[in-house]
Amino acid sequence: MSLLLIVVSCTLDKTDYESEINTVVPEHYEFKQATAVNKDGYTISIETLNGIFYQGYNEIRLKVLDTQTNENINVSDVTFLPVMTKADGNKTSCPYLYTLDYKPDGQYYSGYSVFTDISHTAANWKLYLSFTVNKKMYKANKDVTVNEQTNKNLNMTSFTGNDGEQYYIALIAPQKPKVAENKLVAGIYKYNKPVTSTGDFPDPSQFSYSEVKGYTLQLDPRMPEPSMGNHSSLNNQDLIQGNNGLYHGVVNYTMTGNWTLNFIMLDQNGKIIKGTKVSTDFTPGVPGAKSELFIDTLF
Amino acid sequence: MNAQNRKGRKDSITLLDQVDVKGSKKKIETDIKMSVSVDEFLASSEKISFIKRGAYAWEPLLNNMSTERSVITIDGMHVFGACTDKMDPVTSYLEANNLSAIDIKSGQEGSSHGATVAGSIDLKRKNTPFGLEKKWNGAYQTGFEFNNKQFFNLGNISYSGDKLAVDGSISFRKADNYYDGNNAEVNHSQYNKFNTAIGIAYKTSPLSSVRVDAIFDRAKNVGFPALPMDLWLSRAMITSASYRQLFNEGLIKSWDTKIYYNTIEHYMDDTRRPENLVHMDMPGWSTTYGLISSIHLKKERYTSAIEFNMYNNTSIAEMRMYPQDRKNRTMFAYSWPWVTTRFAGLSMNNSWEISDKSRVNFGGSLGLNYNESKYVEFNWIFHPGASQQKTRILPSLHAGYQFTEDHFSFSVGTGYGHRAPSVSEGYGYYIYNSFDRYDYIGNPDLKNEISYETNASAGFKNEKMSIEAKVNYFYIQNYIIGKILSLGSPMNYQSVGVKAYTSLDHATLFNMSLNTSYSILPELHWKGSLTYARGRDDKGKNLPFIRPLSYLTSLHFTHHNVGIHTSVNGDFIQLNYSPEYGEDKTPAYAIWNFSVDYNFKIKKIKTVFQVGAENLLNKYYSTYADWGNIPRMGRNIFTSLQFSF
Repeated sequence: MSLLLIVVSCTLDKTDYESEINTVVPEHYEFKQATAVNKDGYTISIETLNGIFYQGYNEIRLKVLDTQTNENINVSDVTFLPVMTKADGNKTSCPYLYTLDYKPDGQYYSGYSVFTDISHTAANWKLYLSFTVNKKMYKANKDVTVNEQTNKNLNMTSFTGNDGEQYYIALIAPQKPKVAENKLVAGIYKYNKPVTSTGDFPDPSQFSYSEVKGYTLQLDPRMPEPSMGNHSSLNNQDLIQGNNGLYHGVVNYTMTGNWTLNFIMLDQNGKIIKGTKVSTDFTPGVPGAKSELFIDTLF
Repeated sequence: MNAQNRKGRKDSITLLDQVDVKGSKKKIETDIKMSVSVDEFLASSEKISFIKRGAYAWEPLLNNMSTERSVITIDGMHVFGACTDKMDPVTSYLEANNLSAIDIKSGQEGSSHGATVAGSIDLKRKNTPFGLEKKWNGAYQTGFEFNNKQFFNLGNISYSGDKLAVDGSISFRKADNYYDGNNAEVNHSQYNKFNTAIGIAYKTSPLSSVRVDAIFDRAKNVGFPALPMDLWLSRAMITSASYRQLFNEGLIKSWDTKIYYNTIEHYMDDTRRPENLVHMDMPGWSTTYGLISSIHLKKERYTSAIEFNMYNNTSIAEMRMYPQDRKNRTMFAYSWPWVTTRFAGLSMNNSWEISDKSRVNFGGSLGLNYNESKYVEFNWIFHPGASQQKTRILPSLHAGYQFTEDHFSFSVGTGYGHRAPSVSEGYGYYIYNSFDRYDYIGNPDLKNEISYETNASAGFKNEKMSIEAKVNYFYIQNYIIGKILSLGSPMNYQSVGVKAYTSLDHATLFNMSLNTSYSILPELHWKGSLTYARGRDDKGKNLPFIRPLSYLTSLHFTHHNVGIHTSVNGDFIQLNYSPEYGEDKTPAYAIWNFSVDYNFKIKKIKTVFQVGAENLLNKYYSTYADWGNIPRMGRNIFTSLQFSF
């Protein structure tokens, strides 16, 4: 009988497909506190997915609490400004929402920050926050650490467009793609060059970013590995802007592995801001050529 | 008492032979060659042709239809290959020395074990009866074939006791690359096969017995010259346990019930193809278990076989790709996303002798076929929203009439039947077909293929000569075939595009064969056969893999202990080829084969020595069904020595 079992058991293990895609792509749904600042009896608590600031898109949930009682305080004019200081002292920022929106359902102030770099010795991130209670404005700031995003499906890219402007594209969803048609969500932002002279630091007009309106992001997903011969998929949809300001499209992943989302970004008039068409030829053994505008994902 | 029992038992055996309702069985050897592989043996039937991707594991085509359209079973047991590229037809998991016969039925007559269009191929295992006078029987064959340095050793032994009967066999075959007619080596055409089988039967009462059977087959390092990859290892374990009850009186003559389990693993990879820029593994697994229960009835001139058949199969196949250094996997996908097939069917086949001259055969079956794809997301890529589960009803009906008068015989028949799409046709995902170099995508919601067939035959036979002509015609609705898809991009190395399995409105297939024999002298016999087939799609275009006009003519001379065979066989030029499905025009060819055998006895051991040559003139050729126009073997001198007692 034991001999039979030896004979019957498989020589080569089957791929544990479900656990494999679970380990490759960690998924985070829970908002946890990423940092907190105490200011004059108030605590500003900032929550992000998984309680970590990542390079790329971060949804920000901010609460102001009474430090003593830990109760939510009704505040107004909540502002949020991330600033990165480089080794030479230069200060820059990244796409973010300055005035946060109050979400009554969750009793928090909602915004986002698209961190362009991870924290290291030459890049220190600091958050500048303010809020108003009883007509009194409170200001606070806090050093934070921006970590590498290990989920490549939340990658981002920044580039200078053909119009000379600085643009940012950050992937927001899906966190965990499937072999399927996945709803692809991205944020597209640009840097607004300051027109006025420098005010008191931190002056948000010196660090101004906005969501790009009415653009189109043409999508051509391909597998870049030489072994995949520039494999692509069907039924993909270009990204267009939705009501929430984000860009929505469809990416169809036909199998697991490395994928490249090749983009061509068009402005409201259909003019190419960035990106090149990629070859559709099947080229096994050769690394797939990428558009000049692309984001790599791993699925 | 004992002798009486034995007599009763023997009567039952003869009775059972009669009950077998129509069919054509053959001994496992061909005219030319005494020690043959299962493939070579099947090739000697005029109903069977082959798709060959190398020297090993040929895919049998029945009535010019591929294996999806036929039911291939081992003693009625369903076994499904684990290779998406059909590199492991069921016939590849057996060896000639564990078979006693192969039962080929054409069209719906073959629906007793499952739904079919083309017919059925049932491989009958050796099954030694109880209580033979000679208790021990055995044979040993060895031989060497010079072209591909094939060396084989086959042994089998059987014991027949009053209560216990045992059959055992073991075989080894190993071959190197073969050489074509230009004496060029055909790389990656080697193989190595080991097969062993055992069957133990025990007589539980004078009229009942139990039997357990197991076959283990292992092939290693099998090259497929027509493919970009080879077989690293395949293993099959095929087991069954059965109970047989015979009845002396009454309408029911016997009742057989069998449960079975078989598991196949099949690992293709390209570790032996360093020239590939891309590395890919294609492991596959197929597990089937099932139940067959059949009763045979006989009353006066009426015989009937009723069979209940059910099985559950799970087919899994993976694609894994690697960069050249093979360290990291670069992709993963299921080419069969854990597809379960469940089938239950009831069939009845009847034969009624109206008179001494005429007989009616009729029957039918009703099957329920259920499919489920576990990781249906792979199917949804090309067919969004396709059903994850699918249940189909598969009816079948057939009827035939045979008439014999003096030396003449005639028959006519008709049939109607459904079949469900195969796992690949329904659920396949990027299955690379190296014949037309397309990746194939299945469609879970394909319609049943529906076949309407008619057949007829006419023959004449006397002491000196025989001649028989057979024709059949199939009109197949919803004929499933791969059509080029403008969407999607290929994936497999060497692939040029994507094809989706789709249903044509219909296709038609016509098969014809003419067989003759003539005894020129008592020691000198001539045989000849001619086959022709034509297949067209709904637009009148040619279907692929239809054999052109082909012929075989052979002479057999025996004198005392010496036998001499010679034959010429060939195909005419393939006029009706199908460029849409990747075919090109294959030229005509003819090859000449020759063999001599000598029978003698060493004490009580019957010994046969044979030497011969296939393709004696070392002709360079490939046939219409050779993938990638891979050339066939050039001159092959073979020798074999057989001892039997």
